Amino acid sequence: MTANTTNSPVRAVPEVVRRASADAGQSGLSSEVRFRIAPEEPVFAGHYPDFPIFPGVCVVECAHRAALATAPGDGAIALRALESARFIGPVFPGDVLTVRADWKAADGGWTYTATAATERGTSAKVRLGFRTEVTP
Amino acid sequence: MIDAAGIKRLLPHRHPMLLIDRVVELVPGDRLVALKAITCNEPWYRHLGEDAAPEEFGYPRTLLVESWGQAAGLLAVCGAEASGGPTSQVMLAGSMSGVEFHRPVQPGDVLEHRVRLFRALTDTVIFEGETLVGGEVALTFSRMVMAFRPGDQLRPSAPADQVAAPAVP
Amino acid sequence: MSVTYSDAAGAAPLDMDELRGIVADILEVDATDVADDADFMEDLEVDSLMALEVIVVLEKKYGVKFAESELRQVVSLRQAHELLTQKLRAR
Repeated sequence: MTANTTNSPVRAVPEVVRRASADAGQSGLSSEVRFRIAPEEPVFAGHYPDFPIFPGVCVVECAHRAALATAPGDGAIALRALESARFIGPVFPGDVLTVRADWKAADGGWTYTATAATERGTSAKVRLGFRTEVTP
Repeated sequence: MIDAAGIKRLLPHRHPMLLIDRVVELVPGDRLVALKAITCNEPWYRHLGEDAAPEEFGYPRTLLVESWGQAAGLLAVCGAEASGGPTSQVMLAGSMSGVEFHRPVQPGDVLEHRVRLFRALTDTVIFEGETLVGGEVALTFSRMVMAFRPGDQLRPSAPADQVAAPAVP
Repeated sequence: MSVTYSDAAGAAPLDMDELRGIVADILEVDATDVADDADFMEDLEVDSLMALEVIVVLEKKYGVKFAESELRQVVSLRQAHELLTQKLRAR
């Protein structure tokens, strides 16, 4: 489990269960990534004192990290837009958050449509827009 | 103008998730402008490797969204109180749409969040706006839908299906 | 199958398919899924918050404002079309 040396607000490390296969772009090529949301996640201290609840944007962050971990193709991709996020159910310390998502080719990049869920059910539906980075 | 102490009276968020420093313009129920300074001393940068490349210092995009969302939360709270609205209620982030990232944000930048009321209903409020850095648009927010729900719904012991998303994103 | 409801007052009739496209975008579904009488909640599994958002976006796009009671009753494309047509004519 590589250490998380990024400046992401979520410290949990993405555990890739299934990667989108190389020829992603056809529908139904879904990937699956899991995150253990430990009570020690730094955001819980302030969100909220004595009532820890995982912020909605951190569920979006997990979808974002899951996307980076399972991106199809080999080019680097960068987040262009949070096209939509629907917050449905809470995530509490100790939950395991599973992100299942489909990749679809879009002009200039990819659209990543994900559902994040805990054992209690869906937590959020997230759609992210990525552009493929043109490496100079 | 609302200073940090005033913001802490309005928002439940605390370190490290209190991501608004000052409100500089407020027309209750209509629009608000709030600031947040970005520093490389924020807790998120603690884990960056010593050899991290310059672009890895870009402020986490989801925290830009959170910071703008908290500015919207302030407008919602100020709007609700001003019109004698529900203050015993809890504000929940229902959804966000069309959030575009136009340029990276670096330590030393000051975020200027602009929030406008898109539509207000009895138990739901919708905002739109953008974030400027040095007068340049860094983020645009097409819609954020926030729902007011009775406060008691948020206890962890409450049955999960009743407990909606976190109060103020 | 798209029916354009002609408008007695001669104002340009509100095109059903244009409306269908806008609603499908907001709901993030294919336009073909948004049948004229499909119920947003039952048929398209949309939650009440999202149904509200659809109507509010239509208000802005067509420059009209509904009373909250009117707004909350609209749960299908046809109802949205009827209410919009009525409001546009009344303007």
